[in-house]
Amino acid sequence: MAAFVIRRIIQSIFTIFGVMLLTFVLFRLVAGDVSAQYVNPHLGREARITWLERHGLNKPLIVNSKYPFWKKKFWDTQFFNHFVDSITFRVRSYQTNELLTDIILKRGKYSLALTVPIMAIGWLLAMVISSIVAYYRDSWIDRVGVFLSVLGMCIPYLAYMIIGQWFMFQVAPTSAWGLGHRYNIYVPIMIAVIAGLGSSVRFYRTIILDETNRDYVRTALAKGVPLTGVMFKHILKNCMLPILTSLVVYIPFLIMGSLLLEQFFGIPGLGDLMLSSINARDVPIVSGLTFLVAVLYTGALLLTDILYAVFDPRIRLR
Amino acid sequence: MEEVSEEIVEEQLKGKTPKVGRSLWADAYHRLKRDKVAVVCFAVIVLYVIIAIISSFLFPNWAENYDYEHANLPPSWEHPLGTDDFGRSVLQETMLGARTSLTVGVMANIISVPLGMLLGAIAGYYGRFIDDFIVWLYTTLASVPGIIRLIAIKFAFQDVVLFANTPFEMDLGGGMSGIYIALGVMSWVGTCRLVRAEVMKIRELDYVLAAQAIGTRRIVILFRHIMPNLLHIGIIQFSLGMVGAITAEVILSYLGLGVGTGVPSWGVMISAARMDLVVGRWWELSSAVGAMFIIILALNIFGDRLRDALDPRLRTA
Repeated sequence: MAAFVIRRIIQSIFTIFGVMLLTFVLFRLVAGDVSAQYVNPHLGREARITWLERHGLNKPLIVNSKYPFWKKKFWDTQFFNHFVDSITFRVRSYQTNELLTDIILKRGKYSLALTVPIMAIGWLLAMVISSIVAYYRDSWIDRVGVFLSVLGMCIPYLAYMIIGQWFMFQVAPTSAWGLGHRYNIYVPIMIAVIAGLGSSVRFYRTIILDETNRDYVRTALAKGVPLTGVMFKHILKNCMLPILTSLVVYIPFLIMGSLLLEQFFGIPGLGDLMLSSINARDVPIVSGLTFLVAVLYTGALLLTDILYAVFDPRIRLR
Repeated sequence: MEEVSEEIVEEQLKGKTPKVGRSLWADAYHRLKRDKVAVVCFAVIVLYVIIAIISSFLFPNWAENYDYEHANLPPSWEHPLGTDDFGRSVLQETMLGARTSLTVGVMANIISVPLGMLLGAIAGYYGRFIDDFIVWLYTTLASVPGIIRLIAIKFAFQDVVLFANTPFEMDLGGGMSGIYIALGVMSWVGTCRLVRAEVMKIRELDYVLAAQAIGTRRIVILFRHIMPNLLHIGIIQFSLGMVGAITAEVILSYLGLGVGTGVPSWGVMISAARMDLVVGRWWELSSAVGAMFIIILALNIFGDRLRDALDPRLRTA
């Protein structure tokens, strides 16, 4: 057990290191010089070099080979600064010179206000609908349910957003955009829940039906447990493992919010920040947020794996 | 199994010699052919491909066809789906958008599926540190979830031009090649996982052991004897990957990170029309959304049926 946990922790550390490497390669090596976005090219070389110096972009790339490696200067390079910055999140925006941690604290709450209800309501609705659909398997309820969820899956997310906002605009024009009223957030929540319902209902139904064909269900039925009892006591309990894994996948988006929704409905969360930083080529913010998402995701996966190992001996022994 | 034996009985009744052996591909073909929904979806896909091919010959200079006197017209006989802000025909734009979407879908998967299969097969077959390295590689990629991964790589590509001033010049920021590469490089993880797991199973089978026993080289075993048994995974992933690539292209284009200016795309259409509903212009948005909905529905259903036909173990309930 301890060996398993330690191995998983070491794996996660490697993964996070890999993400750090990935963000360095993508945003520092591939993206190249973004100074043109912030320094007027008419000001000439001097201004550009001053800007690069201020943000530590004129330092050596990986190691400073002019110094021996026991000197501090040897490590004062773009790569190692990126490494430290990523882990501590102490980077400043090119645009506003704010610290990333401050921005996350300031904007994170809007994202959470949007995504926590989406996750909770969406999960609950999907569970209820998929249980009903699976309970009436092979009847017309099942067929209509599956048909509707496939249709729902195929409607583009953007269409839900635009039509939802237009509808809100017809009903209450002031609530269709921004955060002027507290209840403005209901529309984006509703849209995200409906848009995500199709695929989750279909996924949960498959899991529930997989479980229904197991031997223990037949045994329970043979013993005389009523069908509803088997459904809710035996089957749903065993379905929780894959369903919880699918929820974990959503955890990074809790913080990041829903990128497209936040931008479209003018909610000043982190998803909105990500997209506006992309347009402004604000490298430290984009890189920091990408790293944050990856860390959250890796941490959540690690946590579920450890919890599985605690609760399910089959995984622990493998 | 029942379906096959039924057919054999039928053939026997007609007095023919029954064809007992049937390859995986022939079996899948027969299953699909009998499945009416799959045939209809396949027909829709073929129709889109035809539209995509002929539209570029029919409307080669759609992008420059400005006609400000007929801007924002509702659907009429002359313009079956109305016109956009610049007076260009929305019907033509939608048809050309199909070309963009399908090309992106095919090109992205041409990169990602072979890449995923190759890496997955190598990881699964050789094991040890090669496996550890490839697993680390895809865990790292997969830990930046979904759309953020694509946005990040397109952001990095913005000013990159590969092989500048040569005939192979590729503008990764504004050109189409950037989208192909971004989608291709970022979406091989699923294929790689499936293939790796499958190879780890196949590697222990008797025929592989037999090949090893007679001294076949490992690389030959991998590519000659194991790879053909993975092809069906590649085909399934290709058909399902089309859906992902088309959706991703539309979202990227909507965000302005996708196709360059002047390239007709459903994402650009949706982006241009996002505020149009309020002033009562519904045609541009609904043609883009409708066109996208139909092809995604067809690809989704066909992909599922194809998977059921090719890999009975993965069959959805």
